[in-house]
Amino acid sequence: MDIMGTIRNFVVENFLFGEGEQLKEDTSFLESGIVDSTGILELVAFIEETFGIRMADDELIPENLDSISNVVNYLQRKREALV
Amino acid sequence: MKFSKEVLNMDAFLEVRRIYDFIHEMTLKNFKRKGAVIGLSGGVDSAVVSELCVRALGKERVIGLLLPEKESNPVSLQYGLKQADKMGIQTVKVDITDHLMSLKVYEKRDSVIKQLFPEFDHSYRFHVMLPQNLLEQDRLNYHSITIADGSGKSQTKRLSGKEWLEISACQNIKQRVRMIQLYYYAEKNNYLVAGTTNKTEAMQGFYVKFGDGGVDIEPIAHLYKMQVYQLANYLGVIQEIIDRPPSPDTYSLPVSDKEFYFCIDYALLDLLLYGYENNVPKNEISKVLNLEEQQIDRVFKDFKAKEQATWHLRQMPPTI
Repeated sequence: MDIMGTIRNFVVENFLFGEGEQLKEDTSFLESGIVDSTGILELVAFIEETFGIRMADDELIPENLDSISNVVNYLQRKREALV
Repeated sequence: MKFSKEVLNMDAFLEVRRIYDFIHEMTLKNFKRKGAVIGLSGGVDSAVVSELCVRALGKERVIGLLLPEKESNPVSLQYGLKQADKMGIQTVKVDITDHLMSLKVYEKRDSVIKQLFPEFDHSYRFHVMLPQNLLEQDRLNYHSITIADGSGKSQTKRLSGKEWLEISACQNIKQRVRMIQLYYYAEKNNYLVAGTTNKTEAMQGFYVKFGDGGVDIEPIAHLYKMQVYQLANYLGVIQEIIDRPPSPDTYSLPVSDKEFYFCIDYALLDLLLYGYENNVPKNEISKVLNLEEQQIDRVFKDFKAKEQATWHLRQMPPTI
């Protein structure tokens, strides 16, 4: 499964209990109320475990975590930086 | 009302009158109780509520409970006693450390901390904080734990969601045990429990469900924190309490309300909350408070997130 699908599946299964029809790639997790601050930390733990990276404190910003596409873009930037 | 830095200023005389009418009416007529019990934390909210109860009911009908545990700041007990002495009310001190130990609160919590810092033991103190840069940049709330040894040398790590939930669940038992004690003394005297949550805390969910939120009446839940200070000055609350930085006082290492939850000083926080609650245009808030609209947006997002995450605290349990 690609990165987009992996993140989407995690969010749908963990925060939407399988009901993810309305979730778009750019839906803000926080503004839509899908994920709260504890949920964001669950997402961080999932990203770190699944993709084998450590997110620094200063990377915990909406630009990196507040939608499926933000997470995907963050991971792509991270991978490019590692290459 | 036009938004200004003075928008939260009140006529303290009238407000005190209004609240003590409320306490009197509720206690004697609605609840049909003979007095009130208040948990005296050594902070400004409980000092103000007890002063109001004394005016409404008489000092003979007010009991101040002092409920320290081994991690409480010692000045909390000292200030609570001094405030009670000033008002001339009866006090009861119950150290809740044994209760918490019997529930294994410290043990369960410390086992989580030890996984992060294997050296953590009784010689260390700790607290939990949120990032403080809310006005400066777009960021998310996450909890960091700091431990400090006897020499003051400290280490900090970010908590995972799971670690924070377990630590928080343990810490919240402190307020819940206090609630049990408050109701024991209230019921055996046919008194009610007067709560001490203010509007700033109520709006943002800064209290524990069935802990400090478990009370019979909330005499100051319509007042922002800075308004509570106005009443504290008017009512003659002891200066040590007025001067003390507000703190949850549930962690062995001191931490302020700002560091632990709000991320902004109360003086600014309350004006921003007022603007948020009353839909004051952002350009007006920006002009009065000398903030950029982008900064106001960040703060309002944080308000909304905390409001959404804690909505259930302000409701009765949902039913069908």
